[in-house]
This record gives sequence, C-alpha cells and structure tokens, in this order.
Amino acid sequence: MASSRDDFIIAIRSAFLKKSTQQKFSLLTLVFISIFIIVLSSFDLKFIRYLKAGISEAVYRSSFIVSIPENFLKNTFFEIREYSTFFKNYKINKEELNELKSKSISDKITQFENEELKELINNYTLSSDKLLAKIIVDHDSPYLKSIIINKGSKDNIKIGTNIYDRSYLVGRVVEVNYKTSRVLLLSDLNSNVPVTIAPQNIQAIITGTGENYGEIKYIKEGISNLISQDSIVYTSGTGAIFKSGIPIGRVDVADTGSSKKFKVDFYSDFSQLKYVFAELVTKIDVKNEDQKVDAGNSQINNTVDTKLQILEEEKKIIEQTNLKFKDENELLKITINNLNKQISDFRNEVYDQKQIIAQYNIDLDEIEFLRLNLKFGHTCRKSFLNNDGFEVGTLEYKSCVMNKGQTDE
Amino acid sequence: MSNFKSRGFYIKFYSFLPIIVLFISVLNEFDLNYLKLEYFSFNFPFILIFFFTLKDFKNFDYLLVFLAGLVNDTVVGLPLGISSLSYILICIATSYLRNITIRPNPIKDWFYFLFIISLINSINYSILTLFFSYDLLLLSYLVNIFFTFILYMFFAYLFKYYLKGLND
Repeated sequence: MASSRDDFIIAIRSAFLKKSTQQKFSLLTLVFISIFIIVLSSFDLKFIRYLKAGISEAVYRSSFIVSIPENFLKNTFFEIREYSTFFKNYKINKEELNELKSKSISDKITQFENEELKELINNYTLSSDKLLAKIIVDHDSPYLKSIIINKGSKDNIKIGTNIYDRSYLVGRVVEVNYKTSRVLLLSDLNSNVPVTIAPQNIQAIITGTGENYGEIKYIKEGISNLISQDSIVYTSGTGAIFKSGIPIGRVDVADTGSSKKFKVDFYSDFSQLKYVFAELVTKIDVKNEDQKVDAGNSQINNTVDTKLQILEEEKKIIEQTNLKFKDENELLKITINNLNKQISDFRNEVYDQKQIIAQYNIDLDEIEFLRLNLKFGHTCRKSFLNNDGFEVGTLEYKSCVMNKGQTDE
Repeated sequence: MSNFKSRGFYIKFYSFLPIIVLFISVLNEFDLNYLKLEYFSFNFPFILIFFFTLKDFKNFDYLLVFLAGLVNDTVVGLPLGISSLSYILICIATSYLRNITIRPNPIKDWFYFLFIISLINSINYSILTLFFSYDLLLLSYLVNIFFTFILYMFFAYLFKYYLKGLND
C-alpha cells in the first residue's frame, strides 16, 4: 500500500518537475506562470492593458494571414450556395426595392421629425459618422461569439461603439487595441440589449443564445401574450449603451406547450459578415434655459442658428419632395397633351370617313335616278303627246322619275 | 551540396510540423464550425498536444505549447492564461501517464484522454464562470468533449503515419 503511494508520488513529482532533454522549463514553472498571467489579466492594470493590446495586434494580424486559405475555401463554398438561389433572390429584392423607394421620402421626413423631437427631449444632438471596417478574424467559437475588426483607438473607436451591418445592429466593441478591436456579437451569451417590440411597444431585453438567434427575456408579467409572430425588435436606447431605434430582428414565437419562447431572428447573418460599420458618435450639447440666460444673446443666436439649420434641412427635404412632384406633373402634362393630340387625330379621321360615306350615298342616289330615268323618263318628260309631264332637269321631273313615273298629285 | 542543404531543411521542417500545425490551428481556430453542423465542435489542439506529449516528441517544446495557449486566448477572446493552463495540464497528465505506463495501449490512452479533457474543461468552465463571470453553455462544452474524444482515434491514426514517415 505504502509502496504504491510512493510510486504515485514519484510519478507525479516526475511529471511536474522533470525536464526532458529538449525542454527549457519544467511543467510546474509553466503552470505557475499561467496562473500568474490569469490573476494579472483579471486586474485592469494599465501595463497589462498595453501588453494585451500589443499581443492582440500581432496575433490578430497573424490570425488573419493564417486564415486566408481557409477563408478562401469557406467563401467559395458560400458563393456557390449563393449562386444557386441567385435568381429567386433577385426577384424578391427587386420587389422589395420598389416598395422601399416609395417609402424612402416619407421615412426621411419622419426621421427628421424624430431627430427634432429627440433634441427637444435630450437637450443635445448626436452627430454620427459611420466608419467602414473590415473583419479580419471571425472564428466562430462554440463558446464566445465575437469578431475582430481592423479599426482601433487610432480611428477613435471606443469601448461600447455600436457596430452595424448596413443599418442593422450586430454588436458593440468590448476590446480596443491601437489598430484592431473586438466586437461582441448580439448572439453571444454575454450580450444583453434593451429593446422595444413594435407595434405593441413592449420594453424587454434580448440576450444572445450562443446560436444564430437571440431570445427575449425580462418582460413584464402578463404582457408576453401581446407579442405576436413577426413583431419588429429594435433598440430602445435604455441605459445609453445602444442608440435607440436601430433595427435588430423579428420575433419568432415558439410554442412549447406549457410556455412560450420568444426567439429573435436577427436581420443580419453574423456568419456572412465581411465589412461592418462602426458608428462614431459625437455629442453636441444644446444649452438649457438657465445657461442661455447666463450666456446672453450669443447663445440665443446659437440656438436660433441650430433651429435655422434644422429648418433649412426640413426645407431641403420639402424642396426635394416638391421637385419630385413637379417632375411627375410635367410627365403627366406631356402624357395629357399626347392623348389630346391622339383624340384630335381620331376626330379628323372620323370626319373624313363621314364625308366619304356621304359622297357614297349621293353617288348611290344618282345611280338610282339614272336607272329609273331610263325606265320612266319618257313617262315624266313633257312632250307633244304628254302634256302632264315636266321639263327635264327640274325637281318635279326628278321626283316623278324617283316615284317610278307617278306624279305627287 | 545544395541538395543536402534543401533536404536538411525539409527534414527539419517535417520534424517541427506538429508545433507548426498547433500554432496554425490556434491562430485559425480550426474546428469546422462554419459548416453549421448543429452542436458540432471539437478541440484540435487538445488532440495534438495529448498525442505528441504522450509520445514524448522531441520537438514539441512545452514553452511553445504554453505560447500557443496565449495565442489561442487572444484569438478566442478568453482571459489570458486560461488555454495555456489547460495545455500545460494536458502535458502534465501525459507525462504522468508515461511514467506509470509500462506497456502502452491505444484504447487505454483514448479513455485516459476523455478523462483528462473532461477534467480540464471542467477547470476551464469553473474559472471562467466563477472568477470572470462569463455566461457559458455547459451543453456546448459536453458536445465539444464528446467530439474531441471521438475524433482522437482518427487523428491519432494520422499522427502515427507522420511519426512513421519521420522515422523512415
């Protein structure tokens, strides 16, 4: 018993401490270094942060280069799959595009009104620039859902910067290095986003599931029944982590019998991201009433200027709308003129044809008269033997011929 | 002369291939996740490290394994040191197994591998949830362990061919 315990201890000691001929460090040393690094990385020290950022820069770039062959194969696979559904998608997209074009103008006006109202509520305006960023690493880990983009603190990216795919939210920045950043995707288990569900106007929080969909959690009791299939989910802006009004996805209600599960199908396919937009937001304060009094007329002028600017923008939109209507009017006028011209042409044609018909009728009467004249002319003509007849060429003569030799009397 | 030189380079490259593959796999996160096979994932570095440290492969430096762990943490986004600790623990386990084994048996190694990866993933999970407050799916860990265990024999077979080629 004692000897087997001794053997165990010897084997363990040997495993931990014995260095093979090629090894420079014993395993025990490396275990201690690992634990030391884990403890250090749990502290948010400046030195550690810089070191980590340096390592990350180098590793992300290397990872991007190493991933090129695999990404090439992966992209080829996806492209082939895309081509097989290309025509079907094209038709759907065309229809959608037509619908969206018609909605575009009214949306612009609504957007503008929305901004104006927000400014009135918040006392500040948000000016935002969208920065295009390339995804350099997008390894789909089974545990963590994140991507690395090629923009960092050099490009004013900050922790919490919202990241978009077109106009859809995909996540936010959780780690910033000099030229790269890590974006935590909405599908990650650690992602929580305050949202509004439309049209019911329900406030909730969606969390990632580790899969390619989210789940609605933390809804007030009793109102979950109001949520319907295909309701739209967008950010509510609560907590000021995400900007409000950014579309996220649609609700998919999964009825499991005893309870309902509310999944959110994201508008954006996170596995297909190549480029994303990082939104750089600058907060511009609009001074409140007290500050206005203190600062005097210059600040009033600023507010007036801001309002004027807003009004100018509104004017621009209205002008654009007017221009569009004007163009449409011109087009309609031209169409009407063309139609009128066509009507006039048709009228002329009808008149000509009527003339031809009338002439034809006259000719027909003449022929009838000549035919009857041959037959009854002698009966109607005034002569030595026929005193009751009429002079040739008079109306009475013609009437007599037409009545087949019988006079009106 | 140049032929000898280039042959020497290839032999050297071939003998360092496992460590090169390890670094490529941690940088590339080679796990076929993009195939979207539901729940499918496996940990290739675990298989590679377990096999070559068990064989006491001379060019498989523990320090490089440790560095590969740091790279993996950076790529995946885990706190630094977690994967290094996991990889070094595998090295310790294989070193211990080598010390106590007189007659190696692939099936025993296989089940020992299952025990070790389960233990290491448990430690990993505990550290991440307890000390770093990460939300993690236990199911994906279990599935990952299962597929890593299943695929071990397949890769072990390939690696044996590699070793045979090196000895020839």
